[in-house]
Amino acid sequence: MLFNSLEFFIFLPIVFVLYWFVCGKSLKLQNLLIVFASYVFYGWWDWRFLSLIIFSSFIDYGIGVLLSKENRVQKRKILLWTSICVNIGFLGFFKYYNFFVDSFVASFSFFGSEISANTLNIILPVGISFYTFQTLSYTIDVYKKRLEPTKDIISFFAFVSFFPQLVAGPIERATNLLPQFYKKREFQYANAVDGMRQVIWGLFKKVVIADNCAKYANIIFNNSDDYSGSTLLLGAFLFAFQIYGDFSGYSDIAIGISRFFGFDLKQNFAFPYFSRDIAEFWRRWHMSLSTWFRDYIYIPLGGSRGSLNKKIRNVFVIFLVSGFWHGANWTFVIWGGLNALYFLPLLLTNKNRVNTDIVAQNKLLPSIREVYQMLVTFIITLIAWVFFRANTVSHALDYLHDLFSLSLFSKPEILPLTVLGLVAIFITIEWIGRHGKYALERIDNIKKPLRWSFYIVLIMLTFLFTGEEQAFIYFQF
Amino acid sequence: MKKFLKQGALGLLVFIAVNAAIAAFYEYPVYKSVKNKTNRNYLKWNDIHQNKNTYDLIVIGTSRSYAAYNPILIDSLLNLESYNLGTSSQDIAETYYSLEEMFEYQNPKYIVLDLFFPAGDNAHEFYQIFSNSSFFNSTRRRFNLISDGYGSSGFLNYSIPIIKFKNYIKQDLAGLFSENKTLREEHTWKKGHLHDTLTVTKEKIAQFEPISNFENTDFDKERFNLYFNKINKLIESRNAKLICVRAPYPPSRLAINNNNDEGEYFKTYMDSTSIPFFDFNDFKSQNYIYKDQDFTDYHHTNYRGAKKATLQLIEALKQTGLQSKPNL
Repeated sequence: MLFNSLEFFIFLPIVFVLYWFVCGKSLKLQNLLIVFASYVFYGWWDWRFLSLIIFSSFIDYGIGVLLSKENRVQKRKILLWTSICVNIGFLGFFKYYNFFVDSFVASFSFFGSEISANTLNIILPVGISFYTFQTLSYTIDVYKKRLEPTKDIISFFAFVSFFPQLVAGPIERATNLLPQFYKKREFQYANAVDGMRQVIWGLFKKVVIADNCAKYANIIFNNSDDYSGSTLLLGAFLFAFQIYGDFSGYSDIAIGISRFFGFDLKQNFAFPYFSRDIAEFWRRWHMSLSTWFRDYIYIPLGGSRGSLNKKIRNVFVIFLVSGFWHGANWTFVIWGGLNALYFLPLLLTNKNRVNTDIVAQNKLLPSIREVYQMLVTFIITLIAWVFFRANTVSHALDYLHDLFSLSLFSKPEILPLTVLGLVAIFITIEWIGRHGKYALERIDNIKKPLRWSFYIVLIMLTFLFTGEEQAFIYFQF
Repeated sequence: MKKFLKQGALGLLVFIAVNAAIAAFYEYPVYKSVKNKTNRNYLKWNDIHQNKNTYDLIVIGTSRSYAAYNPILIDSLLNLESYNLGTSSQDIAETYYSLEEMFEYQNPKYIVLDLFFPAGDNAHEFYQIFSNSSFFNSTRRRFNLISDGYGSSGFLNYSIPIIKFKNYIKQDLAGLFSENKTLREEHTWKKGHLHDTLTVTKEKIAQFEPISNFENTDFDKERFNLYFNKINKLIESRNAKLICVRAPYPPSRLAINNNNDEGEYFKTYMDSTSIPFFDFNDFKSQNYIYKDQDFTDYHHTNYRGAKKATLQLIEALKQTGLQSKPNL
């Protein structure tokens, strides 16, 4: 079920009414409803894959219980690795099986020997990368004794399958989300209104910005041989806003909907395109995944401590794994590697934590230096996005080769003025609202009539400029 | 909770009020034109419903078809009764349901379907679709068109005026900032055909863009195939003959074209069937030479172009074995 579908607009109010008015007096019933609603939400796409979530939930719940009873280090390790193997096993099979087979065959033929191997026609279960990481974080935290294992099976199942963030995040940590299932939730007007605002803003980002940018980005990327450098630059620019609008829009909707039900999810995006260097960009982009990799891979590997070689290795590991997490294609791996290359100089010169505040804090406009920094960061990000979006590595290389040609200074063959106008409005609103957790968080400071007029205009724009319905990009990850 | 629900209800009321205003603004002229009997879709369906079993040949398709094929000329040269049931932005699913409705009142022997890429794409012009189908006598068919043809987005577009009219609202909003107001010359409707005397200007010719292709159109092959097969089966079940055509484009537009996806796709598709297909951009092109002046804009013929296209259609019909009425 897509957030921007009619089905969801019917589903959500039904769940809301049942949750507060029918199950409101019993926490257990509310949690049970969340499990049931989440399975309906997920099963709407393909009910067969529900068994994967249920199985994964049983395994991690069981291992959590066993870990609570087990004090022997060796046995605890076995339990932890059982969970890792099952979860990563599913992920590996569904997401990476064909990639590994193809790469294996290709590497043999590169060295002159031909082998044949069969790939399988495997459907990638929606959101598998998200809920796998969520359940893994639970087992690892329990293993490391950072979290008490839960004995409340309904709460645990609800935590794994919580529908607002089930298929595309934010990837929640058990330490943040699971305890919220134990506590009685009260309906809070301010939270619900704020949630509603975030949902409206998320929908605007998705259906107006992302879907309209997608239309032209797809045309340009799918026929990149035919276009001039300037058009290819426009294509990369539009894709940058497509993916940002799409993914951060989903996160906003997920966070907003969670607030209707009394839950607080973590912020996932913090205006990444206003970053002044790539380190800041990565503190602001897909924060729930970045911090997951930081806490469960980067820091255990030694982080930024140790020898120079170790530092370099750790940076590459985390970015390459992050790239690979996004998809079974070398384009994602190169995208990750490129970001590692961007990041490394900052780390090695100890400049990776220079820009930790908000750009032009408490000022209306940025300084020329800040504009320059943001522009450079955005441009190098665009280059990396070309790899992310391209179908193959050679497609990305050809795209960049054609982009950086003399035709970069010609008039683009495609100039979607309306879409660019919408993007300009979007950037302006994001800039004004950059001090909040999302662009409209502090809109309460504006007087009510003006605020309501703004909402109406925003909703009308959302309906008027709704692009062709597209699935959220991150569903495929 | 009470306050939240109250605010939600208030928001909903505002939304309904805005939509009601939009509906009134855009539906009232339609209501007036139906009342005055000047609404072209109303008049078309009125002709179909009232003149039972009259027409031997029905032309159907988008506005390109109602601009290009003149039934009066067809009738005079072939001694038939023909009618042009083309409607603006007609989608392939809409064509199917329009034919179903038409077959309930008429028993034609020939159906001429004008093919056009955007009729099979995923960007539907819902206002036009619903405007056309609102004149179906069968409510069930109207419902089928919405539910089967367009699914949940059909229902959304049918029930929420801001979505249904969004293209018109955007057009009108853009019009507020534009000084170019084209004055329409006289045009009349003859048996469903638009007799238009307007000629495309040089400025418009300079702005021509490539003809619909796979790059600039989200053509849905699967959907097209599904409804085309349904159309074909329906026509076969009524013992009529289907003939597919493609209306001409202005030569200046053909010249800037870097590919001919539309023409090639339809040609290949029709070759895989036994259905005759005639592309009037090249059919007997030595006898029918089009000029830009034969068009009102980038793809609609005016009365001059329509004469040529209709004569081409008549030749094509003869080639398929159609005889004039006494021999039918």
